[in-house]
Amino acid sequence: MTAAAEFVEVSQKFGDFTAVDAIDLSIPQGKLTTLLGPSGCGKTTSLRMLAGYSAPTAGRILIDGVDSTKLPPEKRGLGMVFQSYALFPHMTVADNVGYGLKLRGITGPARRARITESLEMVGLAHLAASRPRKLSGGQQQRVALARAIAIRPKLLLLDEPLSNLDARLRVQMRSEIRRIQSETGLTVVLVTHDQDEALEMSDEMVLMRAGKIMQQGAPSNVFGSPTNRFVAEFLGYENFITMTDGSLHTVRPEHLEVAPAGRPVIDGGLSLPGTVTDVAYRGVDVLVTVQSTDPSGLNVTLVSDLRADTAPPVTVGDRVTVSAHQTRLVPIAA
Amino acid sequence: MKTSRPVAGTLAVAGYIIMIVPILFVVATAFSAGSTLKFPPDGLSLRWFGEALSYDPFLESLVTSLQLAVASTAIALLLGVPATIAIHRGRLPGKNIVESLFLSPLIVPELVVGLALFQQLVITYNLENASVLLIGHTALLLPYAVRVTGASLANADPSLEEAARGLGASPLRTFVTVTLPILRPGLFSAALLGFVTSFNNVPLSLLLQSRDARTLPVTMLDYVQQSYDPMVAATSTLILGATVVIAIIAERTLGFAKIFGGINR
Repeated sequence: MTAAAEFVEVSQKFGDFTAVDAIDLSIPQGKLTTLLGPSGCGKTTSLRMLAGYSAPTAGRILIDGVDSTKLPPEKRGLGMVFQSYALFPHMTVADNVGYGLKLRGITGPARRARITESLEMVGLAHLAASRPRKLSGGQQQRVALARAIAIRPKLLLLDEPLSNLDARLRVQMRSEIRRIQSETGLTVVLVTHDQDEALEMSDEMVLMRAGKIMQQGAPSNVFGSPTNRFVAEFLGYENFITMTDGSLHTVRPEHLEVAPAGRPVIDGGLSLPGTVTDVAYRGVDVLVTVQSTDPSGLNVTLVSDLRADTAPPVTVGDRVTVSAHQTRLVPIAA
Repeated sequence: MKTSRPVAGTLAVAGYIIMIVPILFVVATAFSAGSTLKFPPDGLSLRWFGEALSYDPFLESLVTSLQLAVASTAIALLLGVPATIAIHRGRLPGKNIVESLFLSPLIVPELVVGLALFQQLVITYNLENASVLLIGHTALLLPYAVRVTGASLANADPSLEEAARGLGASPLRTFVTVTLPILRPGLFSAALLGFVTSFNNVPLSLLLQSRDARTLPVTMLDYVQQSYDPMVAATSTLILGATVVIAIIAERTLGFAKIFGGINR
């Protein structure tokens, strides 16, 4: 697997604040990579450094194997879609899409053909003559995408591209972006704080915190085997249990069974006694919170996410046994 | 005007009446056939318009006023626009101080500025009054150039310029094809406001006048002190007419909302 772009010990400091802390990162060719993390984790700063809008204070950035650390954005040949879309208000949709083409010496019929092709890819060829402000948010987003892909970029960079759209449109645009990625074969880097978006869209997922990469890999690997507590918590693991040997394990709420006295518990796995402190009915499922003591003797709050139709009838104050299969226990670094 | 807001509506109508009615008196007096400035006029004629248009001091000072307004507006924009861009887009240390400096002529009384310029430049350095007048007016207009164009920039998304760079435009190309078009409504309104402010200015022009650097308002003021005939009213009416024509052209070509809102989207 060749790298379309590479970060070599890249840091970015703003005064005393370290936004990105000596990260090494490899963006695989022809894949969709997401940079995921809470705000302030350095994901957007990393994307801006890759695009050339902000120079790293240390380290090197390679694009197609060429050291591009000092290249200005206009020499990098990357396509960027901004969170605000940044469509030129004084130009028509077609001129927005054609802006980068003119600068590449593509004019006349060739330019028009490429504009139409790019707009067709996002399904907006009929709006070529409109002004951006006449378009809906979703349409503006598509124009921004068309403008970025029209220049046949080495990489397509997307900065929180879906965060300004309503929920329904957001889900629709996820598959739209995936479709464009597979049709064009482009290498895509997408920044997001939404783990669902990252899990659904990525080939490769990079989880960041406080300027450092916490874990990188295919979504199913990262989701199934988080290596540290931060990643686990970020991806919705809520139960952290310390074993007698001091090792830390985590379990997803949906893998934790709750059984009142006399009901069967899962054999050969984790099994802890406890008291129900909260029951929250949520329609499809029900969340049961149990106060318990883990094998190492620490008090822990465990959360179990049960299917509402098969959940045992428990109420606050009930003595219960909480259990999970051995295979559901994920060992993590503290 | 929506009838659902009676208080605001009434106030607005009252405001228009207070502003417009005195002007109507002046306009009516301008058409007088008599020789004193009074209402109602003694008969109707265009006599005083003819007099105004052939009165050399007014014509000469009109040329001075126009030259001064155009030149000071142009210089203020040439100085103010790069400053605005540096304030809003650059990584300028202490940009608030710089902006306050450019806005300060708005706060300092014009008489004080005029006196200071007179004392320092005319007396001490013996500069020509015309040059000092130009310097004074330019300083007076700088806040408009910085503020009004700044409003256009402040409203515009800074990602626009980054997007242009990312698509392959050099910094100069980005400035010409993206930043300037964003600034255009702001530039228009700054130019219009600057021109009108300079053209109407009395305090600075009064303090820095000389025989060959006297603006129309100062000359008119001078004239009113000596004689009380309707020629001044006729001149005012002509200026009013010209202003209305400029306003209509501006409205037709750009729209007031766009000019004075500095709105881009």
